[in-house]
Formats: sequence, structure tokens, C-alpha cells
Amino acid sequence: MKALLINTLLLFSLLASAPVLAQENPIRVGMSGQYFPFTFVEQDELKGFDVEVMNALGKEMGRDIKYETANFSGLFGMLESGRIDTVANQITITEDRQKAYIFSDPYVYDGAQVVTKEGNTEVESVEDLKGKTVAVNLGSNFEALLRELPYADQINIKTYESNLERDTALGRVDAFVMDRVSASQIIKEKPLPLELAGSPFSRIINAYPFRDTEAGRALRDEFNKALATLRDKGTLAAISEKWFGTDITRP
Amino acid sequence: MDVLNVEYMLGLVPVLLRYLPLTLQLAGVGMVLALILACLFAVVRVLRIPVLNQLTIVFISFFRGTPLLVQLFLFYYGLPQLVSALTVIDGITATIMGLTMHFSAYMAESIRAAIIGVDRSQTEAALSIGMTNGQLMRRIVLPQATRVALPTLMNYFIDMIKATSLAFTLGVTELMGATQKEAAGSFLYFEAFIVAAVMYWIVVELLSKLQGYLEIRLNRAYSR
Repeated sequence: MKALLINTLLLFSLLASAPVLAQENPIRVGMSGQYFPFTFVEQDELKGFDVEVMNALGKEMGRDIKYETANFSGLFGMLESGRIDTVANQITITEDRQKAYIFSDPYVYDGAQVVTKEGNTEVESVEDLKGKTVAVNLGSNFEALLRELPYADQINIKTYESNLERDTALGRVDAFVMDRVSASQIIKEKPLPLELAGSPFSRIINAYPFRDTEAGRALRDEFNKALATLRDKGTLAAISEKWFGTDITRP
Repeated sequence: MDVLNVEYMLGLVPVLLRYLPLTLQLAGVGMVLALILACLFAVVRVLRIPVLNQLTIVFISFFRGTPLLVQLFLFYYGLPQLVSALTVIDGITATIMGLTMHFSAYMAESIRAAIIGVDRSQTEAALSIGMTNGQLMRRIVLPQATRVALPTLMNYFIDMIKATSLAFTLGVTELMGATQKEAAGSFLYFEAFIVAAVMYWIVVELLSKLQGYLEIRLNRAYSR
């Protein structure tokens, strides 16, 4: 009788642990933790739009999410060397990146924006960047966008690991280029004297990159399914509204 | 000019303190391993053991001749590209590897110098009264060499503690990484980095105190 009881218990615990076993490998997600308000840290807590979307995706997929934070320029190296499974840091789909990685369906539609120090009348649009020093994040798509401009050779592009907002506010560079929504949010919420210069000059579409391997493709499909569900449920829109007061998850 | 946000700084102290142990762990483990490696190198160099001596010279030349950051990137991003199994090297391991090899190269030279610095007549005297090579090292050379090497080795340890701040480039959130993220979230750079700076400073000051104490102990035989 006792043996039967133990056996039954064992069986139950095995059954109960089966889905748990499947979850034992969490999805390792890389982010910089330095891209307000997408991914940032406050009092040791990782927060932001990308964190919330990823948590919702993990819940939808029934998978644990393990966050790995590193400087932005290191994230693709970590993806490449198999230390993380994807990057949740507003990665824009570009031709170059598509040669090396596969992408999920887009989850953010945004624009590239020029931002200057408050009161700067010299730079009021992307055309005014001629002959100016412009800050971008190292390895970001914004650097590539600037280099595509017909007068790119007249722009002095300065790449940063982080903190380019501060350097612009200090006047060390004439402007920085970043995505429109986070730039607006920084201006609104943070104590830096910055302003938007003109309207966004290039459309950017962001998604999750994966390694182009069997496992990578399987994970991408899993992500796409969960993204579609969250979109239908209105979860994506709700998270976007919460952080930006507008829905940036639709074209 | 903005006023310093003291409240934010005070709030940051307990948060950043949580990352201090990892910083100390990286430097502590790195220092122990580097010391072992450096002693081996120094002995190989002093005794001019064939083959090993040449290999050691190349090793020291490379790890002293290239920036630590380059070495860290080589270990962390580079090696797994050549051998995919080396992905098991995580950020912490790669940092410790880098610190160990980089600093062992420097330390080997200062240990070697300290050993050579022990007067040759003492070696001859010890051997003439019938000491073995092992006894000679243990009783005569090493106690004196340790005393000479201690200040420079301490210097390297202090440097190593500060060099751990490069680990964040490999995704290791130690004291500097935690500070960088907090600063990027609050945009209060001065406040965040001055808190981190003071923490490093206090740790190094405590170590200097320890060094002073050790020096007094090792100098006992000389102070009459």
C-alpha cells in the first residue's frame, strides 16, 4: 500500500515536472540596460518597454526569460557566440543584419530623429547636420542611416558606448541621432536641456534577431506566434500606451 | 548648474554595494591565480629552464604588450568563434582569465627582479654550509624577495581591482556596470559615478592599510 502510494506520488511528480523540465532552459535575452525608456535600470531593477514586452512574450510562450545586460556594441557578439538567444534592444531590421541573422516579425515602428541642445538654432533638421559633429551609439543602425545621407562625408560622426544624451546637452557635439519615441521621452522626463530638431528623417522597423540555425529558426517561429497573440489581445498596444502614450507597435 | 542630488546618491549606496562583492571576487581570484602563475614564470626565468624559458618570454611579451581590453575581447568573443565549445567561457571566467594572464606577466617580472636582487654572496654562503637548493630558496631567498616584491605586488592588486571595471564590456555587471546602468537610467552621471569612485577608493585605502601592516611585519628583522 505504502509502495503504491509512493509510486503514485512519484508518477505525479514526474508528470508535474514534465512541463517544468521543458522550461529548464530559459530564453537568454541580451539588452544594454542603458536605453531609456526601452531598457534601463532604476534602483537595481531592470525596467522598460522592452523588458515588459519580453516578459509578456515569455509568459505567452511559457518560457522563463533570463536577461543578460552588456554594452550595446557587445550584444551582437554575444548573440554570435551563442551566449544569448536574442536581443531585445530595439534592433532595427537592416540589410546588413539580415545577411547574418534572421528576424522575428516587427514589434516596433519608429523613426530616426535628430536631437540637439535646447536653444540650438543652427540644427533644425537632418539637412543642417552638414559640417556638424553628430553622436550615435556604437554599432547602432543610426550610424548607418547617417552614412547613407548624400552629404555623409560632411558629417563628423562620433560613436558612443553610452551617455551621448549628456554629451549633447553639454554641447560637446552638435546633435545626436536616436529613435523618435525614446528621444521624446527623455526630453519629457529627464533633466537634460534637449529638444527635437525637425521631424523624423527615416523610418525604422524593429524586431528580434536570432541566429540562423535550426534552433534559432524554431525560436523565431515561437516568438512570431506569441507576438501575434499579444498583438491580437491588445497587450502590445497596452504596454506601448503605458510607456509612450501612443501605440508604436503598429505601422 | 544643477544642484547635486544627494538623496539619489544615498539611495544608490546600498544598491551599488550589492555589486562590490563581485568586483572583489574577480580581483581576489584573479590575484591568487596571477600570483601562482607569476611565481612559476619567475622561477622558470631565473633558472633559465630551456624551452619553458623561451615560452615564458613570449607569453610575458604578449600579455604585457597588448591592452587588457583587447585580451578580454579575444577570450570572450574571439575564442568561441574558433572553437564553438569555448562558448562555455562566460563573462566572469573570461574576465578572471584576462586579469590573471595580464597581471601575471607584469608580476612575474617584479618577482624575478626581487629574486635576483638577493645578494649572490648569500646564495654562495648558504650553499657552502650545505643547504639544499630548496632550503636555500625557502630560508634565504624567498623571505627576502617577498619583502622586496610586496609593495609592487600590492600595487598590481590595486590596479587589478580597478581593472575589473572593464568586465561590463563582457556583460558582467560588477560595480562599474551597475553604476553605468543606473546612471543611464537616471541621467545623473556625476552622482552615480562619484558614489562608485568613493567605493573603489575606500577599498583601495583599506588595502593600503593592510600593506602597511604587512611591511612592518616583514621589516621586523631589519629594524633594530
